[in-house]
Amino acid sequence: MKRRTLSLTRRSFLASASATAGAALVVPLRLLPALAQETGGAPDPQSFICIDTSGQVTFLLPTCEMGQGTHTGQAQILAEELGADWASIVVDMPKQPAPVYRIPFIGQMRSVGSFGIRFWHDPLRRAAAQAREMLIQAAAGRLGAEPVELRAEGGFVVHAETGRRLSFGELVEDAMALPVPEEPALRPEVERTLTGRPVPRLDTPAKVTGRAVFSIDVTREGLLYGAVRLAPVFSADVASLDESSVAGMPGVVTVARVPRGAVVVAESWWQAKQAADALGITFTETPADNLSSEAIDGMLREALDRTDVPVTTLRGDAASTLSSEGRIVEAEYSVPLLTHVSMEPINCTAESTEERTELWIGTQGHDVVRMTLERGLRIPADRLFINSTYLGGGFGRKTHGEIALQAAIASRAVGGRPVKVLWAWEDDVQQGQYRQTMMCRFRAVLDDSGNITAMRIRLAGPQMGRAYGFDPERLAQATGNVANFDPFSLGGLSDMRYVISNFVVEHAVVDLPIPLCPWRSISHSFNGFFFESFMDECAAAAGRDPLEFRRSHCEGQTRMLAVLDRVAEMARWQEPAPAGGTRGLAVVESYGFYVAQVVEARVGDRGLVVERVHAAIDCGRAINPGQVEAQIQGAVIDALGAALRQKVTIRDGRAEQSNFYDYPLLRIDEVPDVAVSIVETGSPLGGVGEPGVPPVAPALANALFAARGRRVRSLPLVDHL
Amino acid sequence: MTSFSLNGRDVTVHDDPSTPLLWVIRDTRGLTGTKFGCGAALCGACTLHIDGEPVRSCIVPLAEAEGRSVTTIEGLSEDGSHPVQRAWAELDVPQCGYCQAGQIMSATALLARNPAPTDAQIDEAMSGNLCRCGTYMRIRAAIHRAAELS
Repeated sequence: MKRRTLSLTRRSFLASASATAGAALVVPLRLLPALAQETGGAPDPQSFICIDTSGQVTFLLPTCEMGQGTHTGQAQILAEELGADWASIVVDMPKQPAPVYRIPFIGQMRSVGSFGIRFWHDPLRRAAAQAREMLIQAAAGRLGAEPVELRAEGGFVVHAETGRRLSFGELVEDAMALPVPEEPALRPEVERTLTGRPVPRLDTPAKVTGRAVFSIDVTREGLLYGAVRLAPVFSADVASLDESSVAGMPGVVTVARVPRGAVVVAESWWQAKQAADALGITFTETPADNLSSEAIDGMLREALDRTDVPVTTLRGDAASTLSSEGRIVEAEYSVPLLTHVSMEPINCTAESTEERTELWIGTQGHDVVRMTLERGLRIPADRLFINSTYLGGGFGRKTHGEIALQAAIASRAVGGRPVKVLWAWEDDVQQGQYRQTMMCRFRAVLDDSGNITAMRIRLAGPQMGRAYGFDPERLAQATGNVANFDPFSLGGLSDMRYVISNFVVEHAVVDLPIPLCPWRSISHSFNGFFFESFMDECAAAAGRDPLEFRRSHCEGQTRMLAVLDRVAEMARWQEPAPAGGTRGLAVVESYGFYVAQVVEARVGDRGLVVERVHAAIDCGRAINPGQVEAQIQGAVIDALGAALRQKVTIRDGRAEQSNFYDYPLLRIDEVPDVAVSIVETGSPLGGVGEPGVPPVAPALANALFAARGRRVRSLPLVDHL
Repeated sequence: MTSFSLNGRDVTVHDDPSTPLLWVIRDTRGLTGTKFGCGAALCGACTLHIDGEPVRSCIVPLAEAEGRSVTTIEGLSEDGSHPVQRAWAELDVPQCGYCQAGQIMSATALLARNPAPTDAQIDEAMSGNLCRCGTYMRIRAAIHRAAELS
């Protein structure tokens, strides 16, 4: 049996077993016309499935594995449809962000927006079905049988009647010579036995033995290490750099200038870090040097009163949202900056010369990394190779690519030797790139029966999407809004799921000299808090039960009703809260995923203690229910920590927080039980990684209101306890 | 020059004795299962054992390891067969996995001195180990399961 070995550059960093591929069965995926134009429609050398002549099946997956379990889920979809042997598959990622790995409406290879399963399910399944039909066709030729008599299962094509079988490895070369079927038949439901049930994660064995390779773990011959000194004020750059200040220090090799700072390169990271701390470096003065959180709050508050803000979203009649007839409910809310604090500090290893740049990085933004190097060092896409490692958390932060540029520059400063640039924890918190700080003003008009007849919302704060090249006017047109629509700001307001006849949303844009970065659930992380707190205020103003009030504004919204009813059942909402306890309710749709939550808490001598969170969810078919549960539990704990006590504040133009002592995550002794119930309504697939976040803060704030009769309208709650 | 036992083997290293043990283990000795997190003993990602006691190796100078016995995640078992690792795998605890070596080292130390800990004892012993993904519920369940498997 012919068996070619894999070149070193194709080595898998994700698989604990090394992937070998001889003949690759390449199944092209048809691109949407818009993307094909954008990318020139060049032939793509790689795709999702490699089968070598030994029968080893390797899946090349289009999104990263940062804990969300997507690699296992995507592999389940592929293996099931292909008929591969689950126990022996290997997963890897492509080394170049080719068009086939891009999400068309983003135009990038990017692990964001909870798209991993909900977007990739259909393309992956189709590719696997194409590959299966080619293997079966090849086997039909060999066995002198009709394709309809053959089945693909466990890595073999089997002739059911005679039991004769041929392995995928024996068939792959014949299969490759066949045309790719345009309309492959998908397996019927009865054959879908690997998805829709809990399957152990593929990465667990490596993650319990310490063998899993994160980018911080990458080793290369002759590896050097880099530590950074970056401008503490975000818009500043280097004013002066005295390289001699560290010249004699142990292990120091060189100092490389990078945008907004310097990388000190040394024989070990610890030496590099000591030298970076001692480095003589000064930074330019900027207009933001006096910026403070108080000043930012002032800017946002002022924007709430501006008179020149266009209407973005209009349902029904705008004038009635200003009516003074009926009961008027008004409130203003705010949220602070947050940062991501992924457990693995920001890092990247690079070997970079004019001819070739190779990176080892855990990234959510493969194309962002590519574009950053294209802009910063004029590295053409065909000379860049990205080895994807596991990510020690992402949460949105690892969509940006500045670390790749720092590593490539550092490598070039030492003649192309490999350099691992690693930020210290304080660099990560203080150079965070933050979740937006936002304010929001609501006005609702209630009729005699206490139903909302009109609602007006004004959001004040930055417009993150512009930084990603999204034009708010074009997006408004494309989404049925009037003007000025930024989904990174307004998602969860403009498209909220309640039935309210007259409805206006506006966005008073405030540009801030602070780098922003999507944070798990993006705009839903604040709009969920704003909207679901205000719904509770309206229910209270109407003297109605929060569940009954929400239900009465959900006519025809079957998925909203289904998760509300399920969570009410879980939490025994119809019975009074237990003595001494309090509870709050919220429901949010985001990423096509509906989540209703009830938070049960106690307010007493120990402050606010969250005892239990019930979550009822509708994500469509749960590909791996065990991982759906894990994502919701993790998201709830994440969001609870943020709602209770996390914030980044700005003084003298820089972040005041620096480590876990002043940016505290929840610890094991502080987390509640989180019960998850999956409601199957036959709905389309929703994204799973993010939607557990948005209902947590409002449900908690609503519980606090139920206990104290006083409404907290800004986060974190610890500021008000 | 510092000599100590690392996962049962005697080793001698020439790093500056003030270097945190973490970097000697990871970069000099190439055992990368032990992770760098906060660098200030606040997150527990760098937890390993010195003479069986869990320590935060990011703040322990190399000099303190002289003549002592250091165990990392790689030294628990060759193949993931330690009861704590088996329990972790059975319950599919890790998400991103970055903190889990530290979690497992804290859990093994706990079980070594208390073979059947209560929830409260688990919380107390494990509260120095942060998990950004929020796998705490499964961690607690896995420690109970490991107690059964031990």
